[in-house]
Parts: sequence; structure tokens; C-alpha cells
Amino acid sequence: MIWEVFRQEEPGDYHKHCGNVHAPDRDMAKMFAQIQHGRRMKTHSLWVVPQDEVGEVDDQDTAFGGTTDKAYRWATTYNRVDASFAKEVADSEAEQRAAEKKREASSQ
Amino acid sequence: MDLDTVMAEAAPRRFSPKDDMPEEYRKAATRMIQFHANSEVMGGYLEKPFIRQAPSLDRKLAFSAKVQDEIGHAQLLYRAAESLGVKSRDQMLDELAEGEGKFLNCFHYPMDSWYEVPMIAFFVDGAAMRRQATLKRASWEPYAHAMDKVCFEEGFHVKHGEDILRELMTSSKANQERTQEAFDEWWPRILQFFGPTNDKSTHHDFSAKVGLKTMTNDELRQAFLNAYIPKAEKYGLEIPDDPGLIYHEDEDRYEVVEEDLDWDQFFTVTKNASEGSERQILSRADRQEAVDWVREAMDGWERMGSTTTPQAAD
Repeated sequence: MIWEVFRQEEPGDYHKHCGNVHAPDRDMAKMFAQIQHGRRMKTHSLWVVPQDEVGEVDDQDTAFGGTTDKAYRWATTYNRVDASFAKEVADSEAEQRAAEKKREASSQ
Repeated sequence: MDLDTVMAEAAPRRFSPKDDMPEEYRKAATRMIQFHANSEVMGGYLEKPFIRQAPSLDRKLAFSAKVQDEIGHAQLLYRAAESLGVKSRDQMLDELAEGEGKFLNCFHYPMDSWYEVPMIAFFVDGAAMRRQATLKRASWEPYAHAMDKVCFEEGFHVKHGEDILRELMTSSKANQERTQEAFDEWWPRILQFFGPTNDKSTHHDFSAKVGLKTMTNDELRQAFLNAYIPKAEKYGLEIPDDPGLIYHEDEDRYEVVEEDLDWDQFFTVTKNASEGSERQILSRADRQEAVDWVREAMDGWERMGSTTTPQAAD
């Protein structure tokens, strides 16, 4: 049986997928995950999940975000106003700009 | 974990559902997050009619996206709240429909014209975002995680709101006057957005001690005024004389004359006891009932197909 492993580095972080292990049951999966994924990388917590229990949809199955132009839902579209007056608004816009760049890079 | 340990260890994103949290913490966090979730729902419903009333196709698209975002934020927040194990999402939605659930003062007032839209979409959303940015450091991890996504999206809301304000205030004189009228009406409510001053705030001390709140009402309002008053002035809005507002130039600080704010009205409103409260709550309850059949169909489907025991959280 294959178990997908998710590692959280610090308390409060997100658990991020870091690989998988073969194990006959949950306890063994937790033990193998510790050895394979929790030993060298900083680890606060690990999750193990049976691979069969993970549902997946990928970019071959669907067009994430749709196929129409959704520029209207991004802060980066509204350039007649300037976000720099409030740090939290500017931060949000910067995160959106970074996400936009990644999306554009992957569509090319 | 006992309360002393919680207070000693309180830090950003420190506590999660696997920690055994004392009842006081779980109740306080539930109260706060449920309030936040309810406010997202009620704000979304308040703005929903303006999808139809938007003056252009661009605005209509953006507004429908925004309302969709707000309802999505409510879903995230109800999930974060129910992870405390005090109330289920259904329970919280029922409480909101029955008038038990509390929500932000600004969302109890009717919004009738497009001129009022930037009051919510720029000033109230801007105030909310100021507060939400500080909640990324809240001690309840699921709440802080929800804030990551909420803040990611909110930048669009605030900039779009400002764009509407800019458009109105650079158009005809009649539009500018009507926008000013809306501002005069909404300004005192916006000043009350952050709640009563620290000394009159009922819940602040405990929430701060356990790391649920990282800034006081006064600090948040101050930061908001410093950023948003110059914006209002930039677009030619006049700050009303009443309630009084004194700018201390040496400290770059605004002082609000508290006596000029109607705190009796504020507490009536936030206890859901105003006329507007009743109207907003009932109209949402009606719409929730109207789509009951969708939820029932989905529940039926889930029961039919599920192979695992449903969890309390579902």
C-alpha cells in the first residue's frame, strides 16, 4: 500500500506534500515517513494519507480558472489607483502579481 | 492544555485542532471567527443587488466576482470556526438566520444606490483588510490560514472599490455631490467599524492574552484613518465635521471625539435590534430557505455514496 506524505516544518505552517512510502498499515506508514522524510529536513509534523484516498484533478482534465478573460478579478487590473497607501493592499497585489506571472509562464 | 499554558505559549499560528484547548479559548475563538464568517455572508448579501445595478459590464463582472469571493471567505471561516469543536457550520448558519448570530455594524444598514457602493467596497473593505492582515498572526492556525487566502483576494476588492470612488469623484458635479452625501451618511458607521475604544471593549483583553487578536481596536482604527483619510481627501471628499476629528500633526495621529459617535445606536445595531438588522437578517434567511432543496439534494447524495462515517464537521 502506498501512503502519500505531507511535511510541516514549523508549527502553524502548511503541510506540504513531500513524497510517499510503501507500508502495510498506518502505523508503519508513519514510521517509514519519519525515516524517509522527517530525518534530515526540519520537521514539526507529518501526515500520511492512503494514496487511494487522494482525489486528483489536473490541468489535462480541466482549465483551472476557466477559459474566459478574468482580468476583472485581479488587483493588478485597476491601475488608475495606487495600492501603495496601505501595506496590506500592496502586499495582496504583489501576491497576485506573482501568481499571475506563474500562470503566464506555465501557459506559454 | 490549561489556560495559563495557553497564555504563556500564545504566538502566531501556535494552536491547531490537534491541541487540547481549554473551553475558554475555544469559545472565545468561536465567537470571534463566527462573527467574522457571519460578516462575510451579510456583506456579500448587502452587495449582491449591485451585480444587477452595476453601471457597466466591467463593473458587473467585477462585482459578481467580489460577491462570490465574500461567500467563499465565509465558507473558509465557518470551517476554521467549526474546527474548534464548539459549533457546527449548520448551527452557525441557523443562528444567523434566527437573528442570534452577530455581524459587523456596517452590514446592518440598507444600501440603496451605486453612490454608496464605494463606502462599502473601498472604506469598509479597506478597514476589514487592515484588520484581517493582522489576523494572519492569530494563534488559531486554521484562522490564520484562512486569512492567507482572504488577504490574497482582498487586494482586488479594495482597489476595485477605490476605482469606483475615483470614477464617481472625477465625473459630473452631480455624481460628486451624491457621493459626498453617501460619504456623510456612512462615515460615522465606518469610524465605528473597529468597535468601541479599548477601555469599553468587552472581549479584547482575553483575546489579546491568548493571541487571537494582535492589535487593539484603537491601533487598528488609527492605522486605518492614517491611510484612508488622505485617500478620501485626494478624491475631493470632505470629512464631515460631526463626528469631530482632530489631527495631531506632531504625532501624525487622528483623535476621534468619542462623544460625537452614537454608541447606543452601535450597540442596538450590533445586537441585531435595529430595523435594518431585522430586514437584512430576514432577507438572507428567506434566500437561504429558497435554496434549501440544493443542500438537501447534496446531503442525500452524500449519504447515498459515502463509504466512511460522516464526521461532526460535515
